[in-house]
Amino acid sequence: MLVVYLMTEMEERSGPPITLIDPIDMSKLDPTFRDEIKSMPNGEALSACFACSTCTAACPIANMWKYKPHQLIRMILLGMKEEVLSSNEIWLCLTCYECQERCPQKVRVTDIFFDCKNLAAEEGKIPPNVVALAKELLTKGQLYTVTADWEREDMGLEPEVPGLSVEAVKTILKDTRTRKIVGGDE
Amino acid sequence: MVTYNLYIGCSVPVNYPNYESAMIKVAQAYDMELIYMEGVACCGSPNLRAFDHTGWMTVNARTLAIADKTGYDIVTPCNGCFGSLKDVHHVLMHDDEEREKINKILKKENLEFTGVAKPRHFVEVLYHDIGIDEIKKKITKPLDGVGIAIHYGCHLLRPGDVTEFKPEYLQELVKVTGATVIDYPLWKQCCGATVLPVNEDIAIRLARDKVKSMKESGAVFATVVCPACGNQLDLQQLGLKESYGEVYNLPVLVYPQILGLALGMDEEEVGLGMNRVPADPILEHLSD
Repeated sequence: MLVVYLMTEMEERSGPPITLIDPIDMSKLDPTFRDEIKSMPNGEALSACFACSTCTAACPIANMWKYKPHQLIRMILLGMKEEVLSSNEIWLCLTCYECQERCPQKVRVTDIFFDCKNLAAEEGKIPPNVVALAKELLTKGQLYTVTADWEREDMGLEPEVPGLSVEAVKTILKDTRTRKIVGGDE
Repeated sequence: MVTYNLYIGCSVPVNYPNYESAMIKVAQAYDMELIYMEGVACCGSPNLRAFDHTGWMTVNARTLAIADKTGYDIVTPCNGCFGSLKDVHHVLMHDDEEREKINKILKKENLEFTGVAKPRHFVEVLYHDIGIDEIKKKITKPLDGVGIAIHYGCHLLRPGDVTEFKPEYLQELVKVTGATVIDYPLWKQCCGATVLPVNEDIAIRLARDKVKSMKESGAVFATVVCPACGNQLDLQQLGLKESYGEVYNLPVLVYPQILGLALGMDEEEVGLGMNRVPADPILEHLSD
């Protein structure tokens, strides 16, 4: 007897078709987004992406991401600026470069995510803990400050870090985006 | 004697004075002169690069320009500093427009990036400038073939076209101490440090997977060449009992500690007492 395997569309439809991703709202697409990324130092090869998903296979944590690395690259090409710049994923990037290193099309995936984070930060879309790091750098000129100088002395080192001068770093960051992110009079 | 600019960064002197001290002692043993750079601070790490590209470029270009004045290469024990300096050096050597823009900012301090001084990781300098044969000559207490798993750290290896570091360098450096290099499946994987401020659970999971992979492959010790990686694999290991109900007891040593011991330094000289997972069992593996 001939068995006919029913495809999903044969089933009675009671709602919109099942899709793997949310439908794309065409009216929200920004066609200039891909050019914006492409004009940044690491974006040159962006259009070479043929969506093979090697980057996603290489990513140690893509299984925890809503948007996978290859999808984010595709979203940039499609102009989904808002979704990309508002995504948690760009901030969860480990910056381990496993994706970029394996891309057969030489798309600088990790570097492009760095560019995306900069664009997101410019729009104020930045996780609070990252803002805290920005504040640390702006006010102290470094991420870590010596508190247990006896540990250094125990190792025969000078208690103060030789040559350390935090003023220049603070001055530089006062004129760049760090100041804007931190805000206030810091 | 060859002279280098020592860029110590902010994490090593604060969190790993034993790394700093062991590195300086090893450098002395091989007649390297490391001069602490004057007037520098934090590289900003990949965190600064993420939200303030210009700030990150300028801070690191400034460090490179200070070294350019001396003509000596920069040596750093930290993968984060190495990655930042190397990346910025690479961009400024290849992008004239960016170089002009950054040099305009540096001019306020009478500095100019010329690219003469190259940023280098301490272990790469050991491998290339001292060389395995010379390193071997001074080893008096070789290890007895004990299995050591190497965690290179992402920013030491990748992006390969920028860092120009090959895993073989560190493998050879571990082998010359008499230890055996243990292969393990997750050798390339990230320690999770960068994501720590954004998602601690993922960071701990990555550190745990890494330590588990090393231990299951027969490693007796692990070695790292970065304070952030060290923090993830050594310090975070202590918390795995609570979060995962797992205890690995895998001591994590920074490479200069291992080489220092093989050169005949004692446990205090290389600061073994500051390691979080007790690292003194390695003394049992030294020849008499």
